[in-house]
Amino acid sequence: MTKEDKHETTRRNFVQKIIAGAGVSTVAAATYGLSSKATTPDASERRAKQYAMLIDTRKCIGCHTCSVACKAEFDVPLGVTRSWVEYTEKGTYPNVSRNFLPRLCNHCRHPQCVDVCPTGATYKREQDGIVVVDSGQCIGCKYCIQACPYDARFLNPVTGVADKCDFCIHRVSKGLVPSCVNSCIGGARIFGDISDPTSEISRLVETNPVTVLRPGKGTEPQVYYIGADHSDEHENKRGWYDVRVTTHRKEKGRR
Amino acid sequence: MYEVPWGLPVIAYFFLAGLGAGAVSVSGSVLLRKGGFGSSRFAIARCGALIGPLPVMLGTFLIVFELGQPFRALNLFHLINLSPMSIGSWFLNIFIILSVLYAMTFMLPSAAPGDRLAPIRRGLAWVCVPLGIGVAIYTAVMLGAMPARPLWNSPILAALFVLSALSSGVASIILAGVFFRRKSSDPAIRNDYENSTYLLITSDAVLLGGELMVVFLFLLFGQLTIGDVRYAMDTILPGGQLALPFWGLVVVVGLLIPFFIEIFQMAPKLLHGRKFRSHVPLEIISPVAILIGGFALRYTLVIAGQISAPAAL
Repeated sequence: MTKEDKHETTRRNFVQKIIAGAGVSTVAAATYGLSSKATTPDASERRAKQYAMLIDTRKCIGCHTCSVACKAEFDVPLGVTRSWVEYTEKGTYPNVSRNFLPRLCNHCRHPQCVDVCPTGATYKREQDGIVVVDSGQCIGCKYCIQACPYDARFLNPVTGVADKCDFCIHRVSKGLVPSCVNSCIGGARIFGDISDPTSEISRLVETNPVTVLRPGKGTEPQVYYIGADHSDEHENKRGWYDVRVTTHRKEKGRR
Repeated sequence: MYEVPWGLPVIAYFFLAGLGAGAVSVSGSVLLRKGGFGSSRFAIARCGALIGPLPVMLGTFLIVFELGQPFRALNLFHLINLSPMSIGSWFLNIFIILSVLYAMTFMLPSAAPGDRLAPIRRGLAWVCVPLGIGVAIYTAVMLGAMPARPLWNSPILAALFVLSALSSGVASIILAGVFFRRKSSDPAIRNDYENSTYLLITSDAVLLGGELMVVFLFLLFGQLTIGDVRYAMDTILPGGQLALPFWGLVVVVGLLIPFFIEIFQMAPKLLHGRKFRSHVPLEIISPVAILIGGFALRYTLVIAGQISAPAAL
């Protein structure tokens, strides 16, 4: 065997080994993927704690106590809101209805605001699934405000950074419920860990028809509603019935 | 009615960064190009390199002071993540530094092809071209990344912005050529100028043609779809709030008029092999129209994206 042949052989062996190795690892990875899926579906995701809220709009009377409690809790500046209540008025007399839609940050499972944040200032907490803004890191670029399909974020005019509902992190970390839940006079808001099958919120979400806002955006909101009216002013284009939405926010249409 | 978080400073930045990055990318690619047009290539490259960094820096100044916390802008460089704005800021940062160095290689009065700095200049050009494209394209990727903004949530926006940026870059070079060229009766210099103008106008016509195609596809798919995107598209389709600036300034002034002027200018040489004659008024009108269109494109799309919302709650 000449030197050249030897080279050729080793190179061929080398290529063969690489191909064999790649094949083995692919098969191993595929088998591992299949087996882990078969035995424990979404095991890690199920265990992760996720605080969530359920709002029974049938019990809401549109009194804005939650909004006021929130304002007081955080000293939210004038003109901006972490929590607000929208009125949806529909129809022509005598066939009319008026529904209330309390709104807040949805603490989504796939928060777009987190994906777009260039500084890592906004993130979803591992320990409880709350989406927070680190006001010491945020530069106020407003990208997250653009990216939120629920318009839950705003630029705080006092601090110059992005701000929004944080599920009253200072209260819930001490075992209390958020201020809006605490103050709701109709008992319309239920707060708890939805990953815990024994929690009240899990039981209610399981036993009631619930909806979330803008499900098509893929964000998987963690604020659920019972009896929410999803009508929007876009529907006026049809000319069949009138819809009027009052957001009770400054200079803002519903987005 | 709707809040507009990104207003004029951001729109102006999109335009200026596109213009500057486009000018540098065009300059670099003309410098690196082989064959034809002799020394006029170097004049174009020099012009683009000297124009480029200024608007980018001006635009960057505007967005930094548009931030809620301008003095924290450096937080962007503590880390790099997959946010288009994070990647874009790194691109922008490196681009500004390298494009200034690239421009400096042209600043000596003795700067000429094959001088002492030529290898450095070529090296910087190789880096500045992709970086410039990156700076021009990331703004559109940034807008396109959000399902919450249906009008922007399209990959074709990136193609639109990058073509518009390159075309604005070429337009600024043509315009600078008209005002700052050496007036001379020497036929060789005159010939050089004609050659470089022809090269620029033909390239620009190709870019504008591409841009028209992309605008057409953007509108076509908006029109063909239903739901959020269709609702959002209503703001720029005829009858919408921004239809007039979009169709008037972007499509007619920014694209059709300069496209036909440039076709008219280059057709005799391209089709019939006649000598190209530069015509100063046309070389002012079409670049100015392109620059107006480039700004109007950013303006209408950025505003329209923010005054339209997803349809179903």
